[in-house]
Amino acid sequence: MQLVTANNLGYSINEKRLFHNLTFSLNSGCGLHIKGGNGSGKSTLLRIILELTSPSKGRVDYCKPNLQVSYLGHKNAIKHYLTPMQNLELIFKSSALPEAIKWMHTLGLNKVQDELTANLSFGQQKKLALIRIFASQSDLIILDEPFVGLDNTSRDLLNEFLQKKLASDSSLILTSHIEPNVLCSELVLTDNADD
Amino acid sequence: MINFFFLEAFKLRHKLRSWLGPLLIMILVLIAFPLSIDVSQYDLNKFYFSVIVVSLLMISFLATESIFSEDYEDGSLEQLYLEEKDFYKIVLAKILTYVFFIGIPMAIIGSVFSFANGVSVTEVPKIFVILSISTLILFNVFAFGSALSINKGSMLGVLASLPLALPAIVLLGRGVRTVQYGGGFFEVSALMAGVALIVMAIMPIIISATLKTHLE
Repeated sequence: MQLVTANNLGYSINEKRLFHNLTFSLNSGCGLHIKGGNGSGKSTLLRIILELTSPSKGRVDYCKPNLQVSYLGHKNAIKHYLTPMQNLELIFKSSALPEAIKWMHTLGLNKVQDELTANLSFGQQKKLALIRIFASQSDLIILDEPFVGLDNTSRDLLNEFLQKKLASDSSLILTSHIEPNVLCSELVLTDNADD
Repeated sequence: MINFFFLEAFKLRHKLRSWLGPLLIMILVLIAFPLSIDVSQYDLNKFYFSVIVVSLLMISFLATESIFSEDYEDGSLEQLYLEEKDFYKIVLAKILTYVFFIGIPMAIIGSVFSFANGVSVTEVPKIFVILSISTLILFNVFAFGSALSINKGSMLGVLASLPLALPAIVLLGRGVRTVQYGGGFFEVSALMAGVALIVMAIMPIIISATLKTHLE
């Protein structure tokens, strides 16, 4: 079943064309790895798919109504003046909180659960942000460089989680300079949009 | 909507500087002003309200400066948009939380200080009502200013929205005069409440559109 389709997508910024005539679709249970150099428009493409940014041309259609999307971008969307536990209370409704706390233990963040998030390391903050993805029920997961800052154990955990989600019919779109250990189609954005 | 209100209250409760700072500054201004000039009690009673009104304006200005910038910078605003596909409820909840946690205490402080400066006990609730309505209008206006220049330091936008706050200040001044010299309090407060309702209905829509533009 088709989940997302993009037709003739194009995006230009300051007269620089990042990409144009981009057409692709994503089925349930499939992954898409968007590749490209720095500044090639990978993050922008993700934001267009999420409808956070409007494309200069073309459109993105979601084929399933009330599609549940979870997203983690460059910004972690966590509050530095709160503890990890308080952050989870802020992000998750009470029904999803036990699952989030379970993930906090799995990721080893329970040792720092009462410290201010500002005092955590970059990797620990990234892991805390990833709990948003781990503990959410979603049809489509969109990740922008999710492996950055993670240790090998956490990377393996994330790969394992993504494999399981794909097996359970969720879909995945990600950008990563670190090769994910997940079966994905590849979409390569070249630096020259005329290619 | 109520859920957003509680989430905002949860955040604000842990940001001591954001709500306690403006309140302490207001108290400081209201105490320091009469101490810094040598006037008789009679003169002070006449113009102390001006100090309350101006400090209300400045503290509202200060309190709303970072109302959206934190969520914008840490990526929470994107997550909220993905969840709701619109900012209206979020903006409204945020403004109401700020009014509840900062605006109402400001109105209480203003009322207490006006009592200390010669307003009779029976008039204090009237002062509280007009100050509360004023904070509601001012917080909406300055929240718009804050949203306007969210990625360029919110203070710039808040300054730009200052002229929009002036009619509210004129109304507040009129309300204060009715309390001080009698007559027409109900009419003025009803007018202020009407303006507040209109501002509260329109501003979150404009702010939502502004925030969405910034996200793009």
